[in-house]
Amino acid sequence: MADDLNLLSNDEFRDRWRAWLTENYPEEWRVPIIHRLKGDEERRWHRMTYEAGWRAPAWPKEYGGLGLGLEKQLIMHEEMERHNCARVLDSGAILMAPVLMKYGTPEQRDRYLLPILRGDELWCQGYSEPNSGSDLASLRTSAVREGDDYVINGQKIWTTLAAYADRIFLLARTDKSVKKQAGISFLLADMDTPGLTVRPIMNLAGEDELCEIFLDNIRVPAENLVGELNQGWTVAKALLGDERIANGAPTLPRQSFEVLEELVEAVDLLADLGETDRCAQLFCDIEDLAALHSQVADAAIRGNINHAVLGLMKVLATDLFQDVSDELLRVAGEDAGLLEPVGVAGVKLDLRKIYMTARPATIYAGANEVQRNIVANMLMGPGAK
Amino acid sequence: MAARKWLPDMGWRVDDEMQQMLRDSANHYLGAAGGPAHFRQVRTQESGFDAAAWAQMGALGWTGILLPEAVGGSGMALEGALTLAEEMGRTVAPEPFIASAVIAATVLGASDTAAAATLASALAQGERSVTLAWQEQRSTIGIPRFETRLQGGRLRGVKRYVPNWHPACALLVAATDGAETVVLHVDPATAGVTARSARMTDASLSAEFEFDDVEIADDAVMLRGAAADAALTLAVARGTVALSAQLEGLASALWHRTLDYMRQRSQFGSNLSEFQALRHRMVDLYSQIELAGASWRRAAKVLEQGATDAALHTAKARSSQIAQDMGKWAIQYHGAFGYTDEADVGLYIHCGLRWSTWLGNAVAHRREALAAHRRERHGNG
Repeated sequence: MADDLNLLSNDEFRDRWRAWLTENYPEEWRVPIIHRLKGDEERRWHRMTYEAGWRAPAWPKEYGGLGLGLEKQLIMHEEMERHNCARVLDSGAILMAPVLMKYGTPEQRDRYLLPILRGDELWCQGYSEPNSGSDLASLRTSAVREGDDYVINGQKIWTTLAAYADRIFLLARTDKSVKKQAGISFLLADMDTPGLTVRPIMNLAGEDELCEIFLDNIRVPAENLVGELNQGWTVAKALLGDERIANGAPTLPRQSFEVLEELVEAVDLLADLGETDRCAQLFCDIEDLAALHSQVADAAIRGNINHAVLGLMKVLATDLFQDVSDELLRVAGEDAGLLEPVGVAGVKLDLRKIYMTARPATIYAGANEVQRNIVANMLMGPGAK
Repeated sequence: MAARKWLPDMGWRVDDEMQQMLRDSANHYLGAAGGPAHFRQVRTQESGFDAAAWAQMGALGWTGILLPEAVGGSGMALEGALTLAEEMGRTVAPEPFIASAVIAATVLGASDTAAAATLASALAQGERSVTLAWQEQRSTIGIPRFETRLQGGRLRGVKRYVPNWHPACALLVAATDGAETVVLHVDPATAGVTARSARMTDASLSAEFEFDDVEIADDAVMLRGAAADAALTLAVARGTVALSAQLEGLASALWHRTLDYMRQRSQFGSNLSEFQALRHRMVDLYSQIELAGASWRRAAKVLEQGATDAALHTAKARSSQIAQDMGKWAIQYHGAFGYTDEADVGLYIHCGLRWSTWLGNAVAHRREALAAHRRERHGNG
């Protein structure tokens, strides 16, 4: 793009992004809530935006990003919501790249950043383990230095879209003799490394996006260590900043509510007072979350927030997504039990998939119970063990 | 812009310089002369009104905050009044700030008659309080079609739920002359006026007025026609946002009072504030207060831009709901002590009952919000 997007007014910027989406966004991807781009679809999306000058809005320009302020990044999110775009994980640009920018060596940046931008390489995040979910620091996958390599053994689980990824960034224990957070390192591996196997796990939405990864004596070169040895916990925490604000956006509840409104009208419940009160509650919940989200975003742009509010909004947004999906089932009556997508009173929708897509939202990105603990610690001081 | 300093909060609430000044002034005055002790004193008074406190608020510039400078007011934007409302909620102030300095003042400020200027000036000085009688039925949201009629200089009809009434209060009445809306000043001592008042849980009196062929002088009419409709709508909308802010202030103060108690009350060897089940509930209540704070701020912004949409209703709904919910859990977490009159939390709960139901309760406002959304959706479709 010839000119600097940062110099555009917010309105001009919004118009330009909207026009580009309208012109270029593939129609078959416009299945909000349910569809998530994966594999070649995701590669194609990154490539499209890269070539058109829209890729990596949050990255600084020196790394090839757009260097946009938070305000314009949020405008991009809003317009994608408006356009009913599919969800995109983009672990490379959103999760991996910021770590490399902060802790990576120049060689690591040179090697990995451009392929992320171009959509040539997709990444996945290997944090959770079978016995380390919310208590992530208890992880047991080990990495032992042998010559110029680290030898990694262990198992990762709930790794989103691992089957489509080219590389993985993972946490492994490199020192068992110290406090659990102090003995963890941050390592990179190619997904085709011998000894690394991926097994997709079928989930309740009928998708195989989540995977198990078995690490059986896999060898990665020592240069794949990011940050200092045993500093992996600190490196991983670099991700817990403002970017988490997206987890508290009212996007999914709002899109689901639009489906609900259509359905309520189609089944002729607009005048039903019980239904009206339930819809009214959900509508107010969404609107007020939107008000909070935008005011927190404004404050974050000025650098003025307590980060605990991001966890609090994550809880609100994900609980609300579930509330709306629950209400959809109630309105659908017997049709709520249908396994396959069908038309309910002429409205085409996949109720089971919306319902099931809403389930894990309260678990991933920090289970809501853990988020409540974190906020409680901030507001009320430490709790009992 | 200054970050607010009254408590360790989430940081996104920010005051401009004027709001910071008003908040400091409110903390200073209400901290010394307001709060639970003041509320307890006012609730024993028959009038439910403390003229000396009102005069003080006049001297501080609060009673005239929205009135034009020409009548001795400060002519400020709504935001300043909302900061004061928040602080009054936080200190359960029984003063008729919203009924008088927000709602009645908005109507007075829209009129250019001599009668309005006289009342406005007395209000700005804190010499008088003024109330607006607009409602005629239970559960009315927004300005209705009036049954109260002014014809041939005589007023007939019934007004209900007239807020913060006391015998020295000035009375404005919204009515119709058969063709258009009128707002008039009525002397309650005039023959044919009957007032029946009831004590409310916030220590104030709410009155029902019957006007039986009451003689009204020509110069008592302050507003008519479109100007009257616009002023009444704005007055009630502003009152609704201010009440939302006041309720959020109340809920927030109650949350902190409850936490203070939980920190010092020990059972089974731990302070109550350390039990996870209670902590999670407190976080959820805090979240609702955050939503309320964001919601009324958005409503204020929308209103000052001259628009009306669902925002006003979501704000009053959220604030009303959390004030009641917070009250319920404040009692629970204070245990049996929370059920005594001696515990100040009870004062907050009593104020919350009144404020959350005045100008429309949570259920009614949620319905209005959805209705506004559906109208807009249909308009766009």
